[in-house]
Amino acid sequence: MLTNPLHPETVNKRIDEPVEDARILTAPLTRRGFITKGIAVVGIGSALPAAFVRSAFAEGVPTGTATKRRVLVVLQLGGANDGLNTVAPYTEGAYYDARPRLALKAENLLKLNDRLGLAPELASIKAMYDRGQVAIVQGVGYPQPNRSHFRSMEIWHTASLREDEETGWLGRLLDATHYEQQTVWRAANVGVEIPESLRTAEGHGSSLGGSTFVPSITSVGSYALQMDSAARNQATRRTTDWVRLYAEQAALGGALAFVSKAGSEAYASTVQLRGATSTYQPRATYPNNAFATALKTSAQLITSNLGTGICYVTTGGFDTHSGQAGTQPTLLRAVSDSVAAFYADLAARGIDSEVTTMMWTEFGRRVRENGSAGTDHGTATPLFLFGGAVKGGLYGETPSLRNLDENGDLKFNTDFRSVYSTLLERWFKTDPKDVLGASYRDLGFLA
Amino acid sequence: MAFHTSRAKIQHLLRRAGFGYNASELEEYVALGLAGTVDRLLDPPAEGVALQAVVERILAPFAGPALDRELDRERRTALYRAWYVRMAATRRPLVERMTYFWHDHFATSISKVTYASLMQTQNDTLRRLALGSFEELLLAVTRDPAMLLFLDNRTNSRTRPNENYARELMELHTLGEGNGYTETDIKEAARALTGWRLTETGAAVFRHTEHDPGTKTVLGKTGLFSDADVVRLLASHRGTARYLSDKLVRFFVRPDGHAGLAERAADTYMATNGSIRQVLRTILLAPEMYEPAAYRSIIKSPTEVMVGLRRALEAPLDSRAETDSGRALGQLIYDPPSPAGWTGGGDWINATTVLARANYATRITAMRADANPDIPALYRRYRVTGSAAAVVDWTLDLLVAGDVKDDTRDLLIDHLGGMHFDFEAAARDGRLHGMVYLVASMPLYQVA
Repeated sequence: MLTNPLHPETVNKRIDEPVEDARILTAPLTRRGFITKGIAVVGIGSALPAAFVRSAFAEGVPTGTATKRRVLVVLQLGGANDGLNTVAPYTEGAYYDARPRLALKAENLLKLNDRLGLAPELASIKAMYDRGQVAIVQGVGYPQPNRSHFRSMEIWHTASLREDEETGWLGRLLDATHYEQQTVWRAANVGVEIPESLRTAEGHGSSLGGSTFVPSITSVGSYALQMDSAARNQATRRTTDWVRLYAEQAALGGALAFVSKAGSEAYASTVQLRGATSTYQPRATYPNNAFATALKTSAQLITSNLGTGICYVTTGGFDTHSGQAGTQPTLLRAVSDSVAAFYADLAARGIDSEVTTMMWTEFGRRVRENGSAGTDHGTATPLFLFGGAVKGGLYGETPSLRNLDENGDLKFNTDFRSVYSTLLERWFKTDPKDVLGASYRDLGFLA
Repeated sequence: MAFHTSRAKIQHLLRRAGFGYNASELEEYVALGLAGTVDRLLDPPAEGVALQAVVERILAPFAGPALDRELDRERRTALYRAWYVRMAATRRPLVERMTYFWHDHFATSISKVTYASLMQTQNDTLRRLALGSFEELLLAVTRDPAMLLFLDNRTNSRTRPNENYARELMELHTLGEGNGYTETDIKEAARALTGWRLTETGAAVFRHTEHDPGTKTVLGKTGLFSDADVVRLLASHRGTARYLSDKLVRFFVRPDGHAGLAERAADTYMATNGSIRQVLRTILLAPEMYEPAAYRSIIKSPTEVMVGLRRALEAPLDSRAETDSGRALGQLIYDPPSPAGWTGGGDWINATTVLARANYATRITAMRADANPDIPALYRRYRVTGSAAAVVDWTLDLLVAGDVKDDTRDLLIDHLGGMHFDFEAAARDGRLHGMVYLVASMPLYQVA
C-alpha cells in the first residue's frame, strides 16, 4: 500500500515531481520497522504503557472515543534563572534588605497570594495561572547543591547525584518503554544539541545522543536535505540522485550499509515530517523570538500525526551576574508570552489538556545581590508546570529568607526528582522506580 | 578492489593518518612510495608560511591575560577556527591527526574549563608532544591547566584528596578500565598527585604545603612518590603499552582491533621507552593496515568529514563553517561529551547527523558563499574539463579513491549531462557543484 521513495525505480518514475511529497508516506514510521523492512507499519508491543501508545498514535485511532494524548514538553532555562525575581516574596523585609537595587517593587507584582507575586513581565503566565493552568513548585533543588552550571545541569538531566550516570531521565523513560519499536518522531529535541536528559543507554557517545535516534530539529523547514539556494533549479535532481546513491550503496555491506540505511531513514523522516506537518497553521500569534519559534515548531510536531510524545526546548541567557535588571525582565517576558501563545495555539484545537509542560532551570541565584547589580549562583528555585491537565496553584514550601545555608543561599525543600516522579506516575503512568531508581514524594500537581 | 596499487594504499593511509589529501599532495606522496610516505608523515617538514600566518592572525586575541571573560568570547571562535584550518591545510598531517587523537584520549571539555585560552594551551601541548615520548606527554597533560581544572586535580590536596584525576589517569589515559590496578592504587596515586593549583592568571603552580609528602604504594612499588613518579610508573607499564597500542590500532587500522598487531605495537612501545613515533611506524607499515578487512572499515568522524572536504577541494584558509556545523554533525572539537572522549564508530551516525553531513556538503559546495572553495577553478587548474567521465573520475579519485560501482559512476556522469556535457555550462548552472556535492555526501565518502 505504500510506495518506497528510496527504491531507485520509484525515484525514476517520480523524477519530475517534487521529491518531498507528502503522499509518499502517511503511516507512522517506526525505527525498527524501517531498518528491517523498508517503510512499513509495525504493530505496537503490548508491553508498552498505555499512555505511551496513546501519545504515539492517538490521532490514528478512530475518533468518537475520548482518547487523550499525553505529551510532555520540557523547557530548560539555561544559565540559572533568578527565582526570587520571578516569584518574589514581597512581604519579606529580608528580600528588600538583600537586594536594594534589584528587589521588585511590591506594587508592580502580579500577586499570587498575600506573600508572593510574579514579576510583572509574567502577565500572560499570570492569566493562565488565574485560569488554573499553572502549577508553581517552590524551593526545588537537591541535597548538597552544586553551584557549577555544568554539574548542576548534569544532575538535573540525569536525575542522579552520581557523577557516573550517563543516561538522561527522559532517555531512560524511552529505554524503559521500548523506544526502538516506536515512531522516529516519538521524542524530539527542538534545537541543535540533544540535551543530556534525552540520552538513552545506547547512545551517549556522541554529543547528539548516538545510535538511539532522537531527532534534533531546529525547524520543520530545515530538517531536510538542504539544497544550495544559488542553484535552485538543480534541487530536485540533486535530491533524487542523493536518494539513489544512498539506496545503491547499501549493497556494499559493512559500515557502508549502516551509513546508507541511516541516510535513507533520514530522508524518509524528512518526507514524513513534511507530509505530516504541512497543514499546520498557528492558531495563535507567537512572539518573534527563537524560543517562541521553538515552541511553535513543537506545536507543529504535536499537532501532526507523527506521534510525538516528548518535545525538548532549551533557551539561555539567564546567567545574570551583572546588570540583571536590564536582562532578566526581557527574557521572562519572552518566555511568558511564548508559553501563553503555545497554549493558546493548543487550546484553539482543544488539546491544551493533552500537553503538559515543565519549565526548569539548573539552580536559582544568591539571595543577596552582588556588587555589579547582578546575582551569583545560588540553589533552590521555583519550577513551573503548565497545561490544561495541571492542577493550578502553589506547591511546596516557600524557602525561608532567614534560614539560609552557609553560602547565604536558600535551602531547598522539594527534591526536583519529586517533580519527575509525579510526571512519570501521573502523566506517563510509568513506575518512577524504572526511571529514577527510587520513589520520590508525589506532588499531586496533575489530576 | 581495495589495495591493488601502491597508490591505493597511500590514499588509504592518508585518509587514516591525515585528513585526506588534495590532488597535488597526493601525487607528491605517491612519488615517495608507501614507505617513503610513512617516513614523511613521521618526520614532516615545517608548517607552510601561509598557514602559519593565518593561524597567527586567527590567534591574535590570545594575547593578553589568560583568564579574561571579555576576551574569551572572541577567543572561543578563534580557538575552533585555528584548529580546523590547521587540520585542513597542514603539511604535517600525522602530527595534526595525533593531536586530534590525544584530544580524544585526554578528553577535556571547554564546557567545564570555560576558558578558551586554557584549551588553546592544551592544544599546543598536545601538538608539540604528539609524536614524542608518551611519558613526557602524560606528565605535561597531568600538569596542564585545562586538565587540572577539568578533572579537578587543582583541588586535590593532602587534607582534602580528590581522586578524579587519579582514577581517569589509570582508567582512561594509561592502563584502561579494570586492567591491573585497584581502588587502593587510585587512592595512593591521588596522594602523589596532590599539590597542583591554578594561579589567577591560569598557570599551573606546585604548592608544597598542599602536597602529601608521605610514602605511597602504587602498583606494587613504594616510595615518596610525586606526580612525575606516578606518571613514570604508569608510562613504563606493559599494561599501558597494550592499552594504547590497542586504541591506536582501532583508530588507524580497524575499529574492531587486531590483537596480533596491537601486541607487536606494544612490543615496540616497550622497546623504545614509549616512543609514539616508533609505535606509529609499526602500525602504519603493518600488513594488517592494508588487508581487505581494514578497507573502508572506519566511519569518519564529523571532523574528518568536514576537514577532509576543505582539504581536498583546496578551500580558502579560515572559515566559520566547521565551527557552525560541528555540533550539528555530532562533534564539536574542544567539547567532548565525557572524560572518555567520543565513542565514535556507529554512534556518529543517525538520521540527524547524516542529514547534517549532507547539509555541510551543500554548504561547502554552494555556488555563492564566502570562504567556499572555487570549484570550477579547481577543475580548470588541474585541467580536468574535457568530458563528464573525466570530471567524475577525477572527483571520485580525490574523494573516494575512485573505487565505486559502475552505477554510481554512471549516475554522476549523467548528473553532469553525460554526452552533452559542457564544462562551462555545468559550472554555470551548478551541475558541476551538484556532482561534487553528491560525491562529498554519499555513503562512500563517510567511511575511511
